[in-house]
Amino acid sequence: MTLRDLVLVRLGVAVNLVIGQIVAALLLPVFLDAVGTILLAALVGPRAAIVTGLTSQVLAAVLSGNFAWLPFGIIQVIIAVYAWVAARAGAFRSLYTAIPAGFLLGAIAGGTAAPIAYFVFGGATAGGVTAVTTVLRGIGLPLSMAVGVSSIGTDLLDKSLAFAMVALILRTLPSHLAARFPALAR
Amino acid sequence: MIGYVAGDSPLHRAHPYTPLAWAGALLLVAFAVSTPAAIGAVVLAAVATAVVGRVVPSVMRPALLLALPTWGLLLVLHGVLGPDPRIALGPLSLSQPGLTRALVLGGRITAILFAFLTVLATISPPRLVEAMTARGAPFGRIYLLVSTLTLVPRMRSRAALILEAQQCRGLQLGGSPLARLRALGPLVLPLVLGALAEVDEQVLALDARGVTSGARRTPLAPPPDRAGERAVRWVLGLLVVAAYAAKFAGHGL
Amino acid sequence: MKPIVRLRGGSFTYPGARSPALDGLDLELRRGEVTVVTGPIGAGTTTLLLVVAGFAPRLTGGTLAGERESLAVRPGIVFATPWTQLTGLCHTVHAEVAFGPASHGRPREQVLAVADRVMRQAQVDHLADRDPNTLSGGELQRVIVAAALALEPDLLVLDDPAAELDPAAADVLYALLREVAEAGAAVLVATPDVERAARVATRALRLEQGRVVKDGTPSEALE
Repeated sequence: MTLRDLVLVRLGVAVNLVIGQIVAALLLPVFLDAVGTILLAALVGPRAAIVTGLTSQVLAAVLSGNFAWLPFGIIQVIIAVYAWVAARAGAFRSLYTAIPAGFLLGAIAGGTAAPIAYFVFGGATAGGVTAVTTVLRGIGLPLSMAVGVSSIGTDLLDKSLAFAMVALILRTLPSHLAARFPALAR
Repeated sequence: MIGYVAGDSPLHRAHPYTPLAWAGALLLVAFAVSTPAAIGAVVLAAVATAVVGRVVPSVMRPALLLALPTWGLLLVLHGVLGPDPRIALGPLSLSQPGLTRALVLGGRITAILFAFLTVLATISPPRLVEAMTARGAPFGRIYLLVSTLTLVPRMRSRAALILEAQQCRGLQLGGSPLARLRALGPLVLPLVLGALAEVDEQVLALDARGVTSGARRTPLAPPPDRAGERAVRWVLGLLVVAAYAAKFAGHGL
Repeated sequence: MKPIVRLRGGSFTYPGARSPALDGLDLELRRGEVTVVTGPIGAGTTTLLLVVAGFAPRLTGGTLAGERESLAVRPGIVFATPWTQLTGLCHTVHAEVAFGPASHGRPREQVLAVADRVMRQAQVDHLADRDPNTLSGGELQRVIVAAALALEPDLLVLDDPAAELDPAAADVLYALLREVAEAGAAVLVATPDVERAARVATRALRLEQGRVVKDGTPSEALE
């Protein structure tokens, strides 16, 4: 990774960790803690996005103290790779393609959380796992990296919104900035 | 509440890699064992770490706060809703295998929390940076782990400023879900675009300071890494291997 | 004396830009000289700094046409906003200043000696144990300048370095630039504060639309 990629990854991680406070101020039932990862996938590439996601998972644990959620880092990798594929396919060109693409990711991410939660919490059934995770959020477990460990519904909304956000960012990028990202050249 | 607490314990004085290895080993062993007795031992080891580090007051509260909700949930999910046979605990009728399961799973999380929170409390970031530099860790890794944490508070205050500025311009934070959704853009976009615009300057500044020189960075105050500590880390690695070997050989620990 | 940097017909265009930021520019910089460059926004002063120091096009992308010869081995750069120039890795001012030479793998004693010297030069030695994130803009900028000086640059370019400084600190900074030049470096500073720069500069350039429209002594520039 070039130095520029490194600085961009750092930006992506910070975005992942900070957007949560904006979302909380708006009382929206989402986390949007993968916007940075998705943005890096579209601006730079899959490797940078994966590093962004994994680093975010570790630092979120460091900031909140909740290290038990580290195994869910694998979902960050899935988000990164999916977002890159979606970017290559042009999903971020318009909101009409971005939102459905995000929706699909929400299903995938939410679905992947179940076996991981099973491993960590020993959920006996899929229903049990969902119950576990829904109640955890209801209790207000103070962490933003509960990616995918949520009711599938929240994940669908979360990822659709995240994709829409990234599409907006890319569209609003001034041309002289956009020119510095070869991955954007379609 | 969570974070480095200055002190002079053996953990504070150790080479940062040693407590990290210890916590990592605890985490791995916690997942290798599956009887309440064994997990109890792991939890004790984790709590003992906090005692050795003399950080129990700082670590206890966040560890319990984070662990208790999970405990409650596990006891309900497995203890109450688990399979027969059941045992009576006062007025409650709990599933015996479920209770065992809950104890193991809860114990795992408790051990991990105690171990890593202790590590957080006893390793100072500059010391970790020096240790990593002395070991030749690539600049990128150190940069991402440490420098990002200094960027986060700055970005947080900027987010707060943008929030204020947009509210002055008439942005409503409350209202219908759709209205709140639409408020996302004017808050997130300036934050991200502003940060992106700074990237070039940051790259130039870092490059000018020699980050890409290819030379091995000179550590200025490297923490000593005694042979004894290195031996301890090796032993920990072996312990983890032994635990997993026992697990897969069928010796239910 | 051979110039440390020479540009002949230098034109630079940023990626995706329609017109060049620098257009057929001729320039020579010499060691021991402080050159101040001014111009309206968009005139290309920052770009000139980047091209002269060799950071463009290497780190910015874009195309450089014309001739650029440089004998500089250690270019240093200082921007106007201090916060973006922090490494983020250093928890004390001392470590921040020492970061540059340490990154080049210089021996520990040398690094510490240089750091102490430049901190005194930039008058930030009393801040040595402070966390850079707790400093004011003005204090931090002086730390950044110290950090740049720690590399003992033979070519130092600065973009409006006193923007965040109060008048007294600005005077100290510009006097420092004169010291740096007298020690053998070439200094190029872009600033709207021509009056202050003129006190220490030996040469003044004015840029407009990527071209040099005036090149003379600072007193000429003040007219």
